[in-house]
Amino acid sequence: MPLIALEQVCKDYGACETRVTALRGVDLTIDCGEFVAIWGPSGSGKSTLCNLIGLLDSATSGTVRLDGQDVTALSDNRRSELRNRTIGFIFQSFNLIPVLSALENVMLPLHIQGEGTAQAKQKAMQRLSDLGLAAYMGRRPHKLSGGQQQRVAIARALITDPRLVVADEPTANLDSDTALTIIDLMRYLNKQSGTTFLFSTHDQRLLARVSRRVLLRDGMIVEDTTHTAS
Amino acid sequence: MFTWLKIACRNLGKNRRRSIFTIIAIGLGFAAVNVFGGFTSYIFASLRDGYIYAQGNGHLTIFKTGFLTAGKLDLRDYLLSAAELRTLTDVVRGFPDVLLTTPQLHISGLLSNGEVSTIFMAAGHVPSDVRRINSQAQGMIGQLRLFTGKPLEDDHVYGVGLSAGLARQLQLDLGANAIAMAPTIDGQINALDVEVWQRFEAAIELLNDKLMLVPLTLAQALYDTSSVDRLTVLLRDTARTTPLRATLTQTLRQHGLDVEVQTWEELSPFYTKVKDMFDIIFLFLFFIVFIIATMSIINTVSMAVMERTKEIGTLRALGVKRLGIVGLFVMESAMLGLLGSLLGLGLTLLSWLLVHTLQPTWVPPIITQHIPLEIHLVPAYLVLSMGFLVVLSIMTAIIPARRAAHQSIVDTLGHV
Repeated sequence: MPLIALEQVCKDYGACETRVTALRGVDLTIDCGEFVAIWGPSGSGKSTLCNLIGLLDSATSGTVRLDGQDVTALSDNRRSELRNRTIGFIFQSFNLIPVLSALENVMLPLHIQGEGTAQAKQKAMQRLSDLGLAAYMGRRPHKLSGGQQQRVAIARALITDPRLVVADEPTANLDSDTALTIIDLMRYLNKQSGTTFLFSTHDQRLLARVSRRVLLRDGMIVEDTTHTAS
Repeated sequence: MFTWLKIACRNLGKNRRRSIFTIIAIGLGFAAVNVFGGFTSYIFASLRDGYIYAQGNGHLTIFKTGFLTAGKLDLRDYLLSAAELRTLTDVVRGFPDVLLTTPQLHISGLLSNGEVSTIFMAAGHVPSDVRRINSQAQGMIGQLRLFTGKPLEDDHVYGVGLSAGLARQLQLDLGANAIAMAPTIDGQINALDVEVWQRFEAAIELLNDKLMLVPLTLAQALYDTSSVDRLTVLLRDTARTTPLRATLTQTLRQHGLDVEVQTWEELSPFYTKVKDMFDIIFLFLFFIVFIIATMSIINTVSMAVMERTKEIGTLRALGVKRLGIVGLFVMESAMLGLLGSLLGLGLTLLSWLLVHTLQPTWVPPIITQHIPLEIHLVPAYLVLSMGFLVVLSIMTAIIPARRAAHQSIVDTLGHV
């Protein structure tokens, strides 16, 4: 059974004369453990697709299944619970909470789950150490570099051991070298833990590092290729 | 829970200037309400104690039923005879709450200086009992001397007190002689020589040219009666006034006495009117403070929601539910309310300390001397104010917080 299955998913924004169709009848399946890049030009629907898969938004029509469960008509609370337990997010602008330290940011999803502070702290410290950020745990985001912030965001995304990590243009705000480092890190984590990674990008250099590329154009999948990553 | 508290605290500290201004607005409002409330409490207590103790009116007054209405036209049927007075006194003094009872007879007639005469209205009381009532007052009221001249005496029946306007009208100085004339209860004209022993300011301006204070014996002699028209009762504790009034009424009826018991509050329209006036002023002040506090909090929370739109989207993406977002902002707002209240408490205490130290004085109505101005600290006001402001802070934050929680996650994440 695929982890993610989209069947004839459409997404419209606005109404009547101002209606914009972001996705047109998209069919897509993603299996567990895949490392998938959604790519295409600006306005092709990459972010919309990531938002629907990440349960941040609802489709106008069609079905979205997560681990076999139809999530299309779930209540907001149920979607929130699923996001917390099953999906990790990495954002283009890192989106760390400014008033929390690196460690506290990573602990946050566990606190939302209701996990105790001591246990959450231990897990978070381990994650940050694994990513080479042991010396920066007490620092607030504004005292970290872009690459460090994105690594904290990756640690936060993985802290609940999610089935899926959705990253919307995770390297857009990073320099080239750091961007490649982040992608390599995500690939390493994908291989190590078997967590499915889905990220969107319009950066061609990053595509060489992914095993599966899904090309979107004008809201439709025009190409879905699998090959050996370099 | 601790994490959300931490986020709330730190966000308040992050926008320090805005938080401080909101806290100050709430604190000043709290202090204004409580300082004014403390001042009105002082005024009410002074008026109350002035009526009960300084003017010697006691907590309860017992009349024959109907005295205050029909009795004004025909006094004879509404007097308490000596025998009735004895029974009444014995019953009332049997209550442990009662400290003292004293009879009075209020009379009216003409006062003449030998050349001209004018109407007088007099309270005939037992001077030593009134002095005892005066001595029971606490604080500043107990030190008040409401007359110039010398105190009336039980033994010197003809020494009387005149209100300042009456003395001026008849040009009667201290020590001057006058003639008091009045019809007896049987309708005969009677007259007695009196000597002016004291002058005082009447509690009601309109009566300042009519009032006299006379010993009870003089009043009874002028009316040619051994009866009285009321029994004044002083209690050990003012708070027992209303409960004892009910008990007393029932007990006296059981003894076959057809009497009514009035409280000091019912017999003091001046107190009631002043209290009502201050209550209205307090309401206006409270309303203004309420508006200012509400607007400050709405502004602060709305600004916070706007500035942290992306953060809200992130929290929602991580799995925080809508209620959790509302709770976060409500918590911040509650903290503003609490901190503002604590600041207000400090300012109130400071004001109280300042007044207590500097001891300013003032001359209130009906009193001719300077008396200390006080601000009372009323624990009930302080606690209620704090509770109200915290609840107000919570309620005020709910609307902008709900709006924040119901925004589309995608829109909030994309907010710049």
